[in-house]
Amino acid sequence: MTRLRTTLLLGAMVLAIVMVFVYDTVRAVVDLDLMGLLILRELLIVAVVLAGYWLLGLALRGERKSIAKEIGRLTIGSAGAIFLLGAMLFFGPAKGTRTADLLPQDSVFGVLRGVTLGVILGGAALWTIQSLRQIVLFKRRKESQRNVIIYLSLLGTTAAASSPVLPLEGSFVLPLFVPLTILAAIVLSFRQNWIVYLSRREKLYTLLYAFLSFLFGLLTVVLIAQDHPVIIEFQQFSRSIYILVQQTAVLSTIYFGMAFISTLFHMPTAEVFERKQSELSSLHNLTRLTSQLLDFDTLVQTVTQMAQEVCGAKAVWLELLAKAPDGSWSTQVVAHRDISLAEVDEVRVALGSSYRDLVVEARSVVLVDDTWNDRRTKGLRDIGRLRGSLISVPLTARKELIGILHAAREMTQGFDQDDIDVLSSFGDHVTIAIENARLISRSIERERLQQELLVARRMQRQLLPSSVPQLERASFSASSESSTEVGGDYYDLVELGRDRWGIAVGDVSGKGVSAAFYMAEVKGIVLSLSRVCSSPKELLVRANEALHGSLERKAFVSLVYAVLNERTGDLILARAGHCPVIHGRGSSGRLIRPNGLGLGMAATDVFEGATEEQVIRLEPGDRCLFYTDGITEARDRNGEEFGYDRLMEIVGRSEDLSADDLKSRILAAVRTFADGAAYTDDMTLVVLQWRAPSAGPSASVPRP
Amino acid sequence: MSDFKVNHREGAGIHVIELKGYLDAHTATDLESAFQRLINDQKFRIVVNCRDLTYISSAGLGVFMAYIEDVRKNQGDIKLTNMSSKVYNVFDLLGFPILYEIYKDEQEAIRKFGESSTGR
Repeated sequence: MTRLRTTLLLGAMVLAIVMVFVYDTVRAVVDLDLMGLLILRELLIVAVVLAGYWLLGLALRGERKSIAKEIGRLTIGSAGAIFLLGAMLFFGPAKGTRTADLLPQDSVFGVLRGVTLGVILGGAALWTIQSLRQIVLFKRRKESQRNVIIYLSLLGTTAAASSPVLPLEGSFVLPLFVPLTILAAIVLSFRQNWIVYLSRREKLYTLLYAFLSFLFGLLTVVLIAQDHPVIIEFQQFSRSIYILVQQTAVLSTIYFGMAFISTLFHMPTAEVFERKQSELSSLHNLTRLTSQLLDFDTLVQTVTQMAQEVCGAKAVWLELLAKAPDGSWSTQVVAHRDISLAEVDEVRVALGSSYRDLVVEARSVVLVDDTWNDRRTKGLRDIGRLRGSLISVPLTARKELIGILHAAREMTQGFDQDDIDVLSSFGDHVTIAIENARLISRSIERERLQQELLVARRMQRQLLPSSVPQLERASFSASSESSTEVGGDYYDLVELGRDRWGIAVGDVSGKGVSAAFYMAEVKGIVLSLSRVCSSPKELLVRANEALHGSLERKAFVSLVYAVLNERTGDLILARAGHCPVIHGRGSSGRLIRPNGLGLGMAATDVFEGATEEQVIRLEPGDRCLFYTDGITEARDRNGEEFGYDRLMEIVGRSEDLSADDLKSRILAAVRTFADGAAYTDDMTLVVLQWRAPSAGPSASVPRP
Repeated sequence: MSDFKVNHREGAGIHVIELKGYLDAHTATDLESAFQRLINDQKFRIVVNCRDLTYISSAGLGVFMAYIEDVRKNQGDIKLTNMSSKVYNVFDLLGFPILYEIYKDEQEAIRKFGESSTGR
């Protein structure tokens, strides 16, 4: 409904009233009692009433304010209408004046008075009906809606039936419908449930308003029943509106009379109800709180504030449990309200751990009715604090105590069963809210760590060679995959000068970040030593020297280091506890496994004594496999390991494969083997393939 | 993961730890705490019986290295026995036999403790 249309409708209503007024004025002077015109006049009035009812309904629905205020406004409005009625009766023509004695101008005034009263009282009646309709329909049920419809139908029928254009005067209709309407009004007046939901303050106002409305209703009933010329003028304007006003006044009297009595009886329980409602809304807010993203401090502050509201406590504080790695626990005050942190600490000391243990063991709300005279809290008397009652609510998440909420009141026996119930359910919500907040912060932290790990992974990838050298007689192929973000596997191919190449493959014990750090350290050590150590054994001995003592005790590094002489085809290798190298020649493979000890496991002398070198003289077509145990220890669904035999078999059948193809074949075989089982270890593989020198003078020279 | 169990028994001042199952990074802590308990109780003569040990990873091997120094400093030792050939291979690859006494049989290890103490 736009503002324009409302204005237009109001204008139309005013116009209709004016037309009725003009017609009545004319009729007072000239005889113009044409039946058609009379019916039209009645119809106009009915239309105005209906339009007014509808507009008022819209206006009242627009603002959903409290019922008490609504009644207040209605009371003031009806007071105005009654005042006008009283004034007209007082200043109008005296009682007993005959219509016939009136001067023509008096009869015009009479018509004006009748119309004014009709508009004002009719408007007040419509307003009353609309207001009462909405009050009765508060928290509606089917039957209350039905009752309202019945009442409105009866009222409408009664009012319409009393119109002079209908030949019902003296028939059964009015004597039947008037009592029925009153009966329906009585039925309606039993709908007073809205009173329960008023606050104490609102109830006080309602008491006043209801009483006044009751009086006004009664006054209206009495006043318009007068045999007074003004009332007769009103009836002449419209009998229907007269009946409407009369019936509404009856309804108002009955309904507000009942409302007054109900409110009066509800007064003693108002406070309790109000408290219940505030508990309810606090719990409701808390439930909302649990789903909100709050930082921890705001959350615990809000929680203590709500706890205070919920039970009307003087002081509230919240302790959370902090569990030490060794299993012991301590509590920490995270929020306090209307009690200083110093006071809380004093109280905590005075209560001692025995009280805390009591709450922990009770696993339910602990109530102390008289703190200074209770054995459990007698320490409070000594420090002269918290005289009165104390309630402590353990916060338990998944059967584990996460904290304790304390609330204190200044009077003894300050908490009743309701407080206990509400605080205990409050405690559950608080627990959830705190747990949620913690989970969120934990998941944010995890996300951050995940990002860091991805950075670490990228950096670690950069420590591995990005490409492998392709030499005239040797081709390489390499691959390294880690099972977690960062791994402990390492390989490198280093050009040593004078046609010599260093090949290193290693594995740091353990996994994760520590392994990744050691791997970086090993790379640095191998890289720098490879420049100065000509023999692989020497390199390993010195690498061990560097690592022994600097690694964690339980950590060690296995490494195989080989030096390939591209001119002679000699491959000298030494093994520090690492997987044996597989040497494939023709259709067979063998394990090259010189003695050796893992890096970092023993002092230099022991290590040096335990480590030996081995030389492989490569022939064209030879393949060498360097790898980590992730390859040989890959497991299938039944837990069986891939093992050396399968690896050697593939190497044996790979005579005509390139280094790349051999690598791919091995990786594919391991993956197929472990299909379905999760990879549990890092896998690194370096393949060296040795071939005959390319066609040239030297190629025809037979090998010695 | 398959189970891992550490069982501990004592006879004549020698403490035998029996390992069963799959010793890897996840289960290594069980063995660690077993060693830690013995060392806290000043028990340094330890035999680890690996008869039912089915697998050992590098993290598992690390546990032995973490405690051997403390134990030897106190005139004790950790001797390993009854390994399956597969498990022995893992120890061997890393060079453990150079640093640890490994015996076929638990009684043999216990006897060695007796010899060394009479020898001292």
